Amino acid sequence: MAWRALRRVGPVLAPRCPRLSPPLRVPAARRLVTSSLVLSARKFTDKHEWVSVENGIGTVGISNFAQEALGDVVYCSLPEIGTKLNKHDEFGALESVKAASELYSPLSGEVTDVNTALADNPGLVNKSCYQDGWLIKMTVENPADLDELMNEDAYEKYIKSIED
Amino acid sequence: MVLQSSLKSCLQLSCILKTPKAGFRSTMSGGLIIQSISNDIYQNLAVEDWIHDHMNLENGQVLFLWRNSPAVVIGRHQNPWQECNLRLMRQKNIKLARRRSGGGTVYHDLGNINLTFFTARKKYERMENLKLVVKALKALSPQLDVHVTDRYDILLDGQYKISGTAAKLGRMTAYHHCTLLCNADKFVLSSVLRSPYKGIKSNATPSVPASVKNLFEEDPSLTCEMLLDAIAEEYATQHQIDHHITLVNPADETVLPGISNKTEELQAWEWVYGKTPKFSVSTCLNMVYKDSVIDVKVDLDVKHGRIEVCNIDLPEQWLPPALCSELVDSFTGSKFCPNEITTLATTLLRVCPQDDEMHSRWNLLCENMTRLM
Repeated sequence: MAWRALRRVGPVLAPRCPRLSPPLRVPAARRLVTSSLVLSARKFTDKHEWVSVENGIGTVGISNFAQEALGDVVYCSLPEIGTKLNKHDEFGALESVKAASELYSPLSGEVTDVNTALADNPGLVNKSCYQDGWLIKMTVENPADLDELMNEDAYEKYIKSIED
Repeated sequence: MVLQSSLKSCLQLSCILKTPKAGFRSTMSGGLIIQSISNDIYQNLAVEDWIHDHMNLENGQVLFLWRNSPAVVIGRHQNPWQECNLRLMRQKNIKLARRRSGGGTVYHDLGNINLTFFTARKKYERMENLKLVVKALKALSPQLDVHVTDRYDILLDGQYKISGTAAKLGRMTAYHHCTLLCNADKFVLSSVLRSPYKGIKSNATPSVPASVKNLFEEDPSLTCEMLLDAIAEEYATQHQIDHHITLVNPADETVLPGISNKTEELQAWEWVYGKTPKFSVSTCLNMVYKDSVIDVKVDLDVKHGRIEVCNIDLPEQWLPPALCSELVDSFTGSKFCPNEITTLATTLLRVCPQDDEMHSRWNLLCENMTRLM
């Protein structure tokens, strides 16, 4: 479900840029829209974490594929605010069906917020992995880290390749 | 060194494989069966960590067999005060350990076998492992009525749990471990797995209690060694590897470099107790003092195993308020641990005026506080 909804976002927003009216303002507007579009799009790791960056802060969660594979999440172990993470560092674990699955940071940066709602309601990770079930927010120390991650389409292909 | 270099790079456990066993070289690729010579829970959990962290299992798998002297093992995200009787465990010298895997609390002693199945993360398959165990059991004792449930337990006679499961999924490697009750002390098991502590509120993952039975009650001709052998044999057959079990000493740094640090970490208070998810205790102590009962309301918030907020509501005049607030102050920030509380209370008492009546009241309160831990 989430996949389809997401896929629609791209084509709907993208064609808007060239249509912005006064020719003189097009480059500025295009730059603005394009950059915010690029930065807020979700990027994925091969370990099924996603990150989307807005105003220099990355929000991190796990993908729909991952939450389905895990089953019902019963506990979310998350880092303290202020924890410094390097890309690929373990930053916590999700427990489901007696299994603890380590979480790995998609970026280098510092944890600025954790989703406290998950303490009482860890099932949010299953119900809403891209919205209410986010895990942590972090600074983006090295924006180039984002370029190494998969975009929506690439991730979808990746999932197909591991499912086959 | 009997290893092929390709195998060495595959398993990176070169030193362990010094065993000069005929045929070892040719049959090793793909899998390894090892057994710990230690009965120490922390050392054996450290072996799991070591394999998880150091071995590349892209083209191989490992079965690790181990047994422990009496210990209670809680899941990674559990609260020991909710799961077991720590006071009784201290009296009986039963260790408490926290696993890195999920799941619930189990009791181990030498009458229990532990099996850890290591694979690449993408080959992690708990059901297959448990079916392998059941097959091995039936090969030994065909009349046994054993089957695997969808909760990954193994049941005997359709109702008694003889095996519980837990797992950890890392970046590249995953492991699934399970217990197998052979002839564990069921009396100790049920008494230590009953928590006497009241008024705990926590989001920690709770255990699901089950009726248990020992396999040897059903078939007294079995022994732990027979079971270990049968499981190793079935594992070897299914993975087409040599049946040989390699013994490993978890204290041997030359074989497992860095393992003592892992053992220490697993034994440290900061891991065993300090990793407990934040919880609160809200209870009323009914202290018997000179033929009357004093009700004391106690509210504590415990984070990382330490008392973060402490409220002790004593009847007026029972202890001087200044003294009581000093007690509260010193408890705040201290470990939620009876030894620490007793030491703090004794230290405080030393600087107080000599007054036998007050001292005995103070001791009574502190003794009751430690009963919460």
